[in-house]
Parts: sequence; structure tokens; C-alpha cells
Amino acid sequence: MPEKPTHRITLKPVQVELTAPAGTALRDLLFAQGVEFPCGGQGRCRGCRVHVLEGHASVNDAQRERLSPEEIASGWRLACQCVLEDDLVIELRQWDAAILVDETPFAFEPRAGLGVAVDLGTTTLVTQLLDLGTGRVLAVRTALNSQARFGADVMSRVQFGVPKEGARQLRELIRQQIGSLIEQLVFAARVSEGEIQDVVVVGNTVMHHLFCGLDVEPLSRYPFVSSQLGLQIFRGGDLGWKLSPEARVRFLPCLGGFVGSDILAGILATNLSERDELNGLVDLGTNGEIVMGNRQRILCASTAAGPAFEGARISMGMRAATGAISEVRVQDHSVNCRVLGNVPPQGLCGSGLVDAVAAGLELGRIQPSGRFADGAGPWELAPPVVLTQSDIRELQLAKGAIAAGIRMLLDRFGSTAGDLKKLYLAGAFGNYINRASAQRIGLINFPSEKVEAAGNTALLGAKLALFRPEGEDGSFARLRSRIEHVALNADQGFQDTFVEEMAFPQSTYA
Amino acid sequence: MPQFEELRQAIIDGKAPVAKELTEKMLKEGVRPGEFFPNAIIPAMDEVGRRMRECEFFIPEVLIAARAARASSDILRPLLVGDEAMTAAGTVVCGTVKGDLHDIGKNIVAMMLESAGFKIVDLGVDVSADKIVDAVRQNNANLVAMSALLTTTMVNMKSVVEALTAAGLRDKVKIMVGGAPVTDTWAHSIGADGYGKDAPAAVELARQLVAA
Repeated sequence: MPEKPTHRITLKPVQVELTAPAGTALRDLLFAQGVEFPCGGQGRCRGCRVHVLEGHASVNDAQRERLSPEEIASGWRLACQCVLEDDLVIELRQWDAAILVDETPFAFEPRAGLGVAVDLGTTTLVTQLLDLGTGRVLAVRTALNSQARFGADVMSRVQFGVPKEGARQLRELIRQQIGSLIEQLVFAARVSEGEIQDVVVVGNTVMHHLFCGLDVEPLSRYPFVSSQLGLQIFRGGDLGWKLSPEARVRFLPCLGGFVGSDILAGILATNLSERDELNGLVDLGTNGEIVMGNRQRILCASTAAGPAFEGARISMGMRAATGAISEVRVQDHSVNCRVLGNVPPQGLCGSGLVDAVAAGLELGRIQPSGRFADGAGPWELAPPVVLTQSDIRELQLAKGAIAAGIRMLLDRFGSTAGDLKKLYLAGAFGNYINRASAQRIGLINFPSEKVEAAGNTALLGAKLALFRPEGEDGSFARLRSRIEHVALNADQGFQDTFVEEMAFPQSTYA
Repeated sequence: MPQFEELRQAIIDGKAPVAKELTEKMLKEGVRPGEFFPNAIIPAMDEVGRRMRECEFFIPEVLIAARAARASSDILRPLLVGDEAMTAAGTVVCGTVKGDLHDIGKNIVAMMLESAGFKIVDLGVDVSADKIVDAVRQNNANLVAMSALLTTTMVNMKSVVEALTAAGLRDKVKIMVGGAPVTDTWAHSIGADGYGKDAPAAVELARQLVAA
């Protein structure tokens, strides 16, 4: 059999060149470059659209539904619907302009120089270099947080960081890593470090404290309250980065408990604080963060969902990488799995886990109690990948915590799911999770049309902060003063709600 | 007695009102309060423990079964007098350690120990070492069961062991520990007497420790 030809893809405006065999899904290639697929790559939104400048990419029905004939004629495509069939030069809409979650452009005063937005996650770091004059993204770099070798979740990071020496080690690791990512951004964009005026970093409270060199001991025990949640400002020289000494580096303020500036950024990006209707924002991670609010009142909370959504503690769990089953669909009383990267399946990532359990409930293989109907298991999804009884139990814990958190916050508004205008799902997992499956397992108890994947709202909010003119830091303080942090763990009702939410719903809403 | 079988099943199925009704009915018919424990409540909770271990039952099912067991035992306990009152398998002081608010696991262990015939003094969550020492003294307890769910708070278990030693109570009580980050090695390193990996294991361990 002749080998498949390979094609070359050039990404603009960042000037990345890739090669891959014909037939490769463009989605898989671009995902690895940090491109987001807000609807999970199902052709339901326009978030991943690309402008094909050179080469041929076929149009399918999903694209005809979402793009106008004029757009198609001028070369616009949905990246998630395209496979590689030619050498391509493409431009990414996502990296092109300053837009909000709902695609409305945000107003900013163009100024000279460059800026860097940093989403400092417990697991993943995302950095973008931006032209402060045009709002364009010049380069993107992502990496796994190098602190992860000292613990995967925030609590183990805190434990390591309570002794001074541990704290110093974690602080230096992360500062060096972000410094070197900035060097890579500058190199990729062929600009110089001296042009960087402003850096905005967002992250949860633990990331904030460790980066800024603040004591994490108060975060190690009940009531988990630190007195140092505020905005932290550094100068270029302070951090050992190759920036001009006057360059400003801001770590945005935390909201309370473990809820940090990544969520503050999410509130900025979704404009939740300026709307009359009640809207929600949920970041599904190891620490699930939840925001509910409107113009009058905003509540936020975090709930320890555990690492199940990231594939940890799942018998064949893995991160969303090549070889992971990312989607499971019911077909003719059986299941059909999609594997990332078109290779034989090796494991199950978070979205695949949620799908698999939803499919199991649909097929009657899994009972609402979470028990396998035949009493046994494991269930072979796609050899050699199986789902075990204890995998389902881990998912029940994770989804129970999130669903309970959402319910508790809605309760405080005296509202129910029906009163919510929209629920935004933030973060990478929010992009990939199938909303119908999330609803089927009772993780997100809202009809699909109310649930919107919002992408990396933390990074977007950091970008927004970057484009705010000098001296407007007071606006963060004002916004922050309007946001109330709710300590769910101290609420006796939480435990009962959590237990109630562990079971799966009996039947679908549809 | 077929009624014991019925009560066992009601508890396993988590039917608290049925368990309560059956208990009252059987008492009226002359069944002695002390007989309920060895014939219905303890075997029912042992069965719940077995099903939990085999992943057949999960936290919600275990909690509602324990609630049903309690519906029965709450009626019976005030009636246990004389010889029957002496049958308590032991007195356990339990709680989640200082700095930690997780109580679901601790509650399940407490309820299963109670169903297994132990007297329970539950101090709740965020419990200081001093409070545990006081409770051991006041209740003349022979077991201490501690839980921690965070790696940052499990160190406080060590303070409790030390406080009990300092208070001169260490040879009067056995100490058992549990919780997600806790291990057997950890239990031994802090000078505890044992580690229960889940609620059924904790019950088994408690039985062994009081018998030793």
C-alpha cells in the first residue's frame, strides 16, 4: 500500500508551519497549537473558523449551515469540519482580533508596544503575545505547569509550599517557566523583549500566592482564608525576566477561598457582571469553580471535584491527548468511540468518560444508582479500553460536587435552573465535553440550548485587562468588591446536596 | 424469626419508615430490645458493608441504609437496661481532625460502628486534639477514630496521638485512622493502632482492636 502523502500547513498570523499526513483532522492539528473549539468540534458554533488563503479545503453541510455563501466563497471554513487534503495557508479568526465570548468586539484604546496574557493553571499554562495597537495575537505558547511534579492538585502544591524552602522552589520554577515562554513568544513573533509593556497573569489563589511569593499556609486548613488576595504588581526586573525594567507585570486579584483571578477574568470575558439576567459560569477542573450573578449580585464558590475529569483515578484514564477516547456515542444498541489522533485507543479522557457513562445510562447498562446493571463490569468500550465500576464511582463524586455547588448558589438567589439565562462552560474541558452527555449524567442540569462553551475565559479576561488603559486597576477592586465568595464546605446543607447529586437522573429531559 | 429477616431487608433497602414500624411492632409482640442487634441490625449493616466493598453500594445507598438502621436503633437504645445495656461493643470517640471539614466518610464510619453495637461520641469536624482528649476522659472511651481528607490536615492526626499520650490516656485507648490520603504506613508512623481503608474495614478493625 502506498504511503499517504503529507501536507504542509502554515498558520497565520503566528507563522507556525506544520506537516501531517493527508486525512488528518485539522481540529487535532490546531488543538495541539492552542486553538480552541468552543462547541467541542461539532460544527455547532463558528468559534474555530479559519480563512483559507492558499490550498483547498472541502465544504460539508455543517459548514454550509454556519457560514454564508459569501464567506465560503471567500475561503472561510470551520476548522473542526476539515480534514487535510492539500497544502494550506490559513489565518485563524480566533487569533485575529479582540473579541468577547459572544464574539462582540471589545473597545480598547490602541497603544504602542506589546503585551503578554498568561493563564497560569494548576495543570496547564497558556501564554499569548499581543499587539497592543491592533489587538492581534502574534504568538501562542502552551506548556504543562512545571510545578506539577510536586503534586497534581492545588492541595498537594500547598502542602509542598508551606515550608519556606518548598515555597521558594515552586516560586522560582513557575517564574522561570513563564519567563522562558515569553522568550519563546518573542522569538516566534520575531520581535524583541524590550517592546513588551505589560504582562497580565491570572490563576487560582494557590497559583497567585506561589507566583507572588505569598505564604500559602492559610490555604492549607479550614477556613482556607488568606488575607493577601489583592492585585500584585511587579516590574520587569523583579522576576528575572528579560523585559525592560519599566515593564509592568500584574497578577490580578483573587476572589476568595481558592477562587482566583482566572475566575475574575472569566467574569470580565463573559460580561456577567453587567447583565440584568442571571447567568452562570462554571470551570470544570480539579477544583470546580462556579459563578452565578447579574448586575446586582455575584456569587462565586469552588468545590473540590477531584481529578476525574482530567482522567486521574480512572482505571484507564488519561489526559486529552493522542490515543484518548474523547467521544462515545450510542449506535445500534452498542457504542462507537472516537479516538484523538486516529490511532488505536489507549485510554479514556474526561469527555470520553462523561460520554461513556451517559451512553451506559442510555443503553441501560448503568443504573441511576451508578451500579452496572449486570452487577459486574468492566464494560469494554473499545479494546483494550474498559470502564470499571469504580470509574463510575469517581465520576459520581466529581459530578456530584459540581452539581451540588451549582444548586447551592442558585438556591441563594432563590432561583432554579429555569431562571438562568445562560450557563457558560469555561476551560478546555468545557470545550470538549458533550453538553447532552453532561446533562444526561446530571453534571449540568440545564437544557443544551442554555449551555454555552465559552473557551478559555481566563485567558480572554487577562487579555481584556491588558487592553485597559493605565491607572484603571481600581476597576478590578470595584468589580471584586461586588463579588461574594461562598464557602460551600462550611455550609451544612452542602454535604446533603452533594450526596443527593451523586446519583444519575432517571431519564433524559428530551 | 422471619420478622428479623424482614427488618434486615428494610435496612439494606434503606427504608427507614418500614424499619421503624417493624421495630415498634416486634417490640409490642415481646421481642427483647437486645435481640434486635445481633439478629437484624448488625447483620444488615454487615451486608451493607459487603455490598459497599464490592462496589454494589455507593455513598448514597450506604447513607440511606444507615439512616434506616438508626430509625430502628434510636427506638431500641433507651430500652436497653441491665445486662443488655452492657452489651455495647465499646465506646468510640470520633471526628474529623482540626482544619478539615469533610464529614461524609466519618459519618458513614460512625453510623456503621453504631450499627455494629458501639457507642459513638461524634465530635463532628474541625476537631482539636484537646477536644478529643476531653471526650475520651469524659466518656471513658476505649477507641478513638479520626478522619482527614486533606494531605495538609492529616498531620494533625499526629498531634492527637501526642495529646492522648501527654494526657496519660494512650494505654487506655486504641487509635484508628482513615480518609482518602491516609495509608497503613502513615497510621503506624504516627503511632496509631490501625488504618481502615473503608467503612467496613473500619468496623472490622474496631472489633479487632477492642478484642485485643
